[in-house]
Amino acid sequence: MRISIENFTKTFGDTTVIKDMSLEIRSGEMLALLGPSGCGKSTTLFAICGIHRMNGGRLLFGDKDVTRVSSQKRNVGVVFQNYALYPHMNVFDNIAFPLKVRKETRAEIDRKVQEIANLVHIGELLHRKPAQLSGGQQQRVALARALVREPDILLLDEPLANLDAKLRLEMRSEIRRIQQQTGITAVLVTHDQVEAMSMCDRIAIMDNGKIVQLSSPKEMYEDPTSDFVAGFLGNPPIAFLEGKAAGGGFRLANSEITLPVPSGITIPDHGAAMRFGIRPEFFQPNNGLKLNGKISFVETQGREELYDVMLENGAVLRSIQSQGAGHKLGDEVSWGIAEDRILAFGPDGRRL
Amino acid sequence: MQRSSWLGLAFLSPALVVVLLFFLIPVVLTGFFAFTNMSTATGVKGGAYVLNTSGLRALADAGLPKSTLEQIEGAGYRVDAKGLEALAADFGQPVADEFASLHDGEVFSKRRDVERALKDLRSNPIRKTRDRKIAADLFKRSLLNERFDTLPGFEAALEEAGIPDADRPLITQVAYTGWVWTTENFGFLMSLDSTWQYAKNTIIYVVFTLSFNVLFGLFLAIATFYLPSGQAATFRAIWFLPRILPPVLYIVMWRWFTWDTGFISTVLSGFGVSPRNWMLDTELHAWTTIVLINGFVGASMGMIVFSSAIRAIPSSMLYASEVDGASRLQQIWHIILPQLRWPILFITSYQTMSLLTSFEYIYLATDGGPGGATEVWALAAFHTALNNYGGNLQYGLGATYALLLVIIGLAASLAYLRLFNFRNLIQKPRIEG
Repeated sequence: MRISIENFTKTFGDTTVIKDMSLEIRSGEMLALLGPSGCGKSTTLFAICGIHRMNGGRLLFGDKDVTRVSSQKRNVGVVFQNYALYPHMNVFDNIAFPLKVRKETRAEIDRKVQEIANLVHIGELLHRKPAQLSGGQQQRVALARALVREPDILLLDEPLANLDAKLRLEMRSEIRRIQQQTGITAVLVTHDQVEAMSMCDRIAIMDNGKIVQLSSPKEMYEDPTSDFVAGFLGNPPIAFLEGKAAGGGFRLANSEITLPVPSGITIPDHGAAMRFGIRPEFFQPNNGLKLNGKISFVETQGREELYDVMLENGAVLRSIQSQGAGHKLGDEVSWGIAEDRILAFGPDGRRL
Repeated sequence: MQRSSWLGLAFLSPALVVVLLFFLIPVVLTGFFAFTNMSTATGVKGGAYVLNTSGLRALADAGLPKSTLEQIEGAGYRVDAKGLEALAADFGQPVADEFASLHDGEVFSKRRDVERALKDLRSNPIRKTRDRKIAADLFKRSLLNERFDTLPGFEAALEEAGIPDADRPLITQVAYTGWVWTTENFGFLMSLDSTWQYAKNTIIYVVFTLSFNVLFGLFLAIATFYLPSGQAATFRAIWFLPRILPPVLYIVMWRWFTWDTGFISTVLSGFGVSPRNWMLDTELHAWTTIVLINGFVGASMGMIVFSSAIRAIPSSMLYASEVDGASRLQQIWHIILPQLRWPILFITSYQTMSLLTSFEYIYLATDGGPGGATEVWALAAFHTALNNYGGNLQYGLGATYALLLVIIGLAASLAYLRLFNFRNLIQKPRIEG
């Protein structure tokens, strides 16, 4: 089901958390609300499911205006960060709860619970209490409870934050599999860009209660609209070079070095501040646009190694290279930037 | 022991002294007193030996042979060797000899008869009335209304009176005015109709007050949970007032409220209802008042405990139940109440125990009235032992009431612990990582 948020405003007391936000979520897609903590992504999620009332704007599910509909009647499934399982009920009763409060027949409840439990692979755990389950199993129960009454929309609030690293990988693909299998429209709230990029069809990246960019993960990574988006996506993160426009080129701050500006980028007026963003995978020994520097940090990540290179003017570039290059801390190097991959930003942070 | 442990004990000692003085010693003493017949009449120290007419009646009821009874009663004046010796010493051997030859071994029940016999002596009559009285008294061997301070004295008197050995223990027991060890209190209490009435009253009191406490406390906690926090705090503070009010003041206000010139009467008189004492006019009204008085005090405690327990439920769980489609009532029934299980059990058992033993509000409000209708067990113990209209405070009997109450309380605690599966209650909490 399509979700339309129109001019959504939310205030808590005197604090305006979200102002005039609009967002359209396509039917059947999985959309990530990504952003740092406090950006309003969970608030948006709670407004969609009706736990928070909207102070302004409209919310439509399909063509139906649900702005004033209570959360009980919206038919939205929610998975909470701490799963919010009912500790006094066993797994079966937890999953059956949404059906029970709708007074469905016993046989119907049995069938649906069994079906959804098999979908999320917890068919054998139905008689356990939540306290007897591992984190990943609790997560599956929460998913099953959210899905059992066939909601129009599935909302996931930081669903993987409480899991350890290995389980997180597993549940990432599991949630995506279940979402695709059921074909449900889903909204995932996360602060983890890897989750957002790996699980979702589109990402809405939020900052200070606003949506900064809305596009597919690949597009967002390769074509960010601002330095905030560029800095938020990517691990290890992008490195920025500060400087200003000088004679059709980019003059590095505190330095005589001037880099050519790639074609297709509008150069601002002479003397205006600008920044280059260079991702670690595009700063490599054999690229063309060479810069001299000294290795100031080495981190071994197993398959790859991460280097920080301090340039002569004190700026730092990151480089990620395959294992075995054998560079050491303190080595003088002259590595190159892939010219066509440079992301240039203006003084206000916008992409040039 | 390490020095720090001694320091800990030193810090603890005032508490230990208080516990000992005001709790342990009274409890142990109550246990002892329950097996005595102590009362105002016996005193708490030892007693003396006196046989009076009611004692004789008791002896007769206990089946003492008639002859022995007559011996005690008529012990009066006996002409025996001891008396004759005394007579010889005071009035000369000839008088004694003559008196012996005429009356040796005789028993006179009245002094006048002895005096006449002395007057009638042929050769050595005692002329003066005063002397005859003195002489007659030398033969007095009475047990009735004589006070003996020690047991040997009393036993000697029994010996002199010639009471058969077999009857002496019973007579000694009846004659003793001090307290004695006894186990008869228990049987005696059970045989009293009033005891069973107290038991019934206590059950009524505990069941109704407890239900009111728990249900009203729950209602307040849940109702205030759904209110905005400012209003909720105000309501909780208002309902907490009865608990922080001094009990006497609280009861005085209830009495004003229910008096025949009080609030209810005044308001209802406007509707043509004749004024009356709404607290004491009928048993039903008395019980209603008692349950409300205690219930409002107890409910505030339940409210506080339940409120904090509800607030300890993670809000996401309540949100989850809302988006799962549960209405407010379903949320309360399926999510909140099940998670209040332990607090409810705790309040129920705790309040049962304290209600069983508490009587201060009843004492101040109805003092067991009207006509003993609200006299609960604990109040009966207090009245019997420490404060009754007749003035004979029966410490032993009162202690027996108290001891039985302790036993009932212990049994109830054990039942609760078993019912609530105490081991689960104290299970280590699982800390979620």
